[in-house]
Amino acid sequence: MAAETEAAAAATASGLAGEMEVEAYRRLFPLAFLERHLRESVRPDGRHLSEARHTTIALGAVYSAHGSALIRLGETVMRSLPSSSSPFSPLFFPALLASRAPQLFDEMPSQAMLASVKLEVMSPPAESPDEGSVAVEFHMPPICSPLVRPGRPADVAPVISKALEDVLMSSGTINLKDLCLINGKASWLAYLDIYCLNADGSLFDAALISAVAAFTHLEIPLVSVGDDGRVFTVGGNEGKTKFELVNREKRKLALGGIPFSLTCALHKDNVLADPTSEEESVIETYITVVVDSSDRLVSIQKLGGAVTSMETVKECISLAKERRRKLIEILTDSVEAMEVDQTE
Amino acid sequence: MSVQAATGTYSPAAAAAGDKRREKREELRRHLAEDADWPRADGRSFHDCRPAFMQTGPTTAASGSAYAEFGKTKVIVSVFGPRESKKAMMYSDVGRLNCNVSYTTFATPVRGQGADNKEYSSMLHKALEGAVMLHTFPKTTVDVFALVLESGGSDLPIIISCASLALADAGIMMYDLVTSVSVSCFRKNIIIDPTSDEEAWQDGSLVVAFMPARKEITQLTLTGEWSDSRITNAVELCMDACSKLSDILRDRLKDTATLTSE
Repeated sequence: MAAETEAAAAATASGLAGEMEVEAYRRLFPLAFLERHLRESVRPDGRHLSEARHTTIALGAVYSAHGSALIRLGETVMRSLPSSSSPFSPLFFPALLASRAPQLFDEMPSQAMLASVKLEVMSPPAESPDEGSVAVEFHMPPICSPLVRPGRPADVAPVISKALEDVLMSSGTINLKDLCLINGKASWLAYLDIYCLNADGSLFDAALISAVAAFTHLEIPLVSVGDDGRVFTVGGNEGKTKFELVNREKRKLALGGIPFSLTCALHKDNVLADPTSEEESVIETYITVVVDSSDRLVSIQKLGGAVTSMETVKECISLAKERRRKLIEILTDSVEAMEVDQTE
Repeated sequence: MSVQAATGTYSPAAAAAGDKRREKREELRRHLAEDADWPRADGRSFHDCRPAFMQTGPTTAASGSAYAEFGKTKVIVSVFGPRESKKAMMYSDVGRLNCNVSYTTFATPVRGQGADNKEYSSMLHKALEGAVMLHTFPKTTVDVFALVLESGGSDLPIIISCASLALADAGIMMYDLVTSVSVSCFRKNIIIDPTSDEEAWQDGSLVVAFMPARKEITQLTLTGEWSDSRITNAVELCMDACSKLSDILRDRLKDTATLTSE
């Protein structure tokens, strides 16, 4: 019955579509709008069904953190300008600098995530004296979406926090022993805070990319221990000779098996990789697959929704593996780009 | 977790930074004793603002948005609405303006310190209220949400300017763009657009929110020790800088307009 009315609605909708403006049709009949695109094997934003959004990673966006990364999903037009045309460098949104060029900061929806890692010193718990700790928090501030209001945090935020923590810990990305400073006395507590600046679907995927990128960028400060047993940072060459350093070697975290994820929305027989919020609002079934850098499965999640065949799950896994390869390339490129920046 | 953060953990920079801070304060004291110009940490002169980068449209999910970067200070403002007021609100002939300012946990050198600036939400509201034509959207609410990504000094004035750009981007009717600039006072010297370090040692501060085309001040906050003549000077300095900032905002809006019409 429900399916019938739905079909009827779709039929009237497609009849009306000719007379109605596309934007109005899109808002009034989002499902019919999507299905019409799918019939042509294309998506409302012009992507193929199995195509993930264009991804950019900018490392070191926040000065006040030890490691940070800004990532964007979506067709943001990047056009490099000669630096002389701008008297200052907006380090933070290099994409926004492009908007001064005739081809502007486009109106295409794009997902933006900002992740930062900040280190603090703690006394390790007695049961694991040689380990540090990671505290993950995913924030959805009211700026990111019309659905979030101040004082009422989004329901999904704690779910994503937990899922991120699980993935980062279970995949062995971070060796907590690397965060140890002095056995039993002091170790690092890494606060990983991820802010969603513009919510546009596949939040978990974007959050995980930004988390991994921020840890890649993380540089652990040189520290020494004072007479009072407190740890303090040592900067400059003079400091290095004057104080006895605690962590001469452990300056970068060696990340093991970097995990990347891909969310697929399932609609009838179609598998839509990396859905936008518009697509998410009409589709009910998702599969999120996390794979690590050697293509091992870290997690698969399909919460509720319509029943799915094993074939579809396998398809999602292979899409996730493909996406993982692309993301590693992008991450490597961004690390190189940052190193070039630093040497200049 | 927050309990643990309060008792068990600390930022290691604090210990070593203590010495550096003392040095800086000594240096400043020396400069003040000599009563001379001293070089500012970022190489500006006393009456130079930091280079301003402002842009509309970082948050596509909002009706209007703007991003501002002044030195290390980075702010995003999103505007939603006009949309339905909260159910609990009484009927109102004029629209409502709802403002909220929040900080990221990593905005400040010490984690989570940004939450201290609770008064900014209401100050932002007061600064903008006079400029927005509230009667053009009766019964509804316009939400102005600001997120400080990184705090590097003069946060409130930058939030105000950025918010008015975001309101304009959202097509909310205003009498004029509101721009805001702050100055710090050090004994006999006035410096404009102070960084966080400079704000930490200032004797007094003045924040002016101004509508340059109408030559009207929407908000003026003065704290600390000031003499009459210097207040006049400082206000004029702020108004002048606000006018220049307003030109930048207008240019940005024109850029976007020409682009959409093309």
